[in-house]
Amino acid sequence: MSSAEALPIVVLSCQVLQDLLTDPGRGGLLPEGLAREIVFLDYGLHRVPSKMTWTLQETLDQIEAPSVVVLGYGLCGNGLQGIKAGRHTLLVPRVDDCIALLLGTRHAYIREFEAVPGTYYLSKGWLESGSHPLKEYLEYVPKYGPERAIWIMDQQYQNYERVVLVAHSQRDLETYRPQALEVARFCERWGMRYEEILGSDAYVRRLVELIQGVAERGMAALDDAGKDFLVIPPGGEIHQEHFVR
Amino acid sequence: MSWLYERISTAILEGDSDKTADLVKKALDEGLPAKEVLDNGMVAGMSEVGARFKVGEMFVPDVLVSADSMQAGLNVLRPYLISSGVKLLGKIVMGTVKGDLHDIGKNLVNMMCEGAGFEVIDIGFDVDPQQFVDAIKEHQPDVVGMSAMLTTTMRAMAHTIKAIEESGLRTTVKIMVGGASVDAAFAERIGADGYGSNAPSGVDLAKRLAGVA
Repeated sequence: MSSAEALPIVVLSCQVLQDLLTDPGRGGLLPEGLAREIVFLDYGLHRVPSKMTWTLQETLDQIEAPSVVVLGYGLCGNGLQGIKAGRHTLLVPRVDDCIALLLGTRHAYIREFEAVPGTYYLSKGWLESGSHPLKEYLEYVPKYGPERAIWIMDQQYQNYERVVLVAHSQRDLETYRPQALEVARFCERWGMRYEEILGSDAYVRRLVELIQGVAERGMAALDDAGKDFLVIPPGGEIHQEHFVR
Repeated sequence: MSWLYERISTAILEGDSDKTADLVKKALDEGLPAKEVLDNGMVAGMSEVGARFKVGEMFVPDVLVSADSMQAGLNVLRPYLISSGVKLLGKIVMGTVKGDLHDIGKNLVNMMCEGAGFEVIDIGFDVDPQQFVDAIKEHQPDVVGMSAMLTTTMRAMAHTIKAIEESGLRTTVKIMVGGASVDAAFAERIGADGYGSNAPSGVDLAKRLAGVA
């Protein structure tokens, strides 16, 4: 095989994909040893998209050897916009945000989005890290007082219709249901109803298959990436338009 | 320039509604022109809030609380603005596009444009293209403002502009767009007339588009 075979693989991903990719007890999909380095970055980076951009760019630039870098992100509010590949080749799921990755297909994402645009999604990772309205409210109370805190929450959440727990096994749905219900009870204030969706690992699985292909066959494997993935060559840059279908 | 303007800006930045209202009253009692209190004190304060929010130095709760303080100031200011003869600058139809339910930014633009002297017709959130067209027919605004927070829903702005074109109304309005993911390049690509990088900049944009800047 050519020297392309030796191109190291690095995974740079949002924590939201940590379980799906690497947790062996939960069906972590990425075989050990396939990636030379795996970095998971904090959940909330997308809240200030420019912060996500420079944090990712900085981390990317610190990878010395030219590599195939898998970005475990979607466009994420333009967080990926302007990211320069530099010496690396970037492989990115062609999605607006991680919900499509948790649900498993772009089709499922569109289906849910069109059916109920006002949906707040919960995943086990977000529940564990406290990224949800109840935790948010509890953080505001000491700073703003209970009345102002609930008013702030109302401004942000009164338009939502439902809160949905997404998990990838029936067992996980059951394990995380009590926590999700606690959040849902709080969200009843805005008339949000509680639902559960059994997500699929199909999208992440396809990403891992591509990574395996690169490890076995070199860069040629990326020719098979297809329309659900973006491949940005060295010197290239990620643009918002790449994600428009 | 009166030091009171800076104190009003600071009160808004700090999200202190009572202090904002008190300082606005004090400024008016001292004979300062209502329009200057608005522009140099209140709009200046909210513009600083918008700038800090954009770079992640202030967050949504702070913006909400500051906006509420500005509202408190506007409540004191409004009768003075009316009696000082601030004329109606024009009419704006504002909405968040189809599939998107985020409206904090839009509501902030609405408040500031009303304060500046526009008549604002808010058609809500998750507004589909036809509803925008209907609103233009009904209200005949000078400016149409569209808001979207998500990259997923931003594309509905393009569909809405297309619907407005197809209904033959495009030349009757100026269209401005805004939202967390919207940028100048996107606005140009979809054929909007202008874009606001943060909510407070929407007022100047509206004035420019309405030809009253």
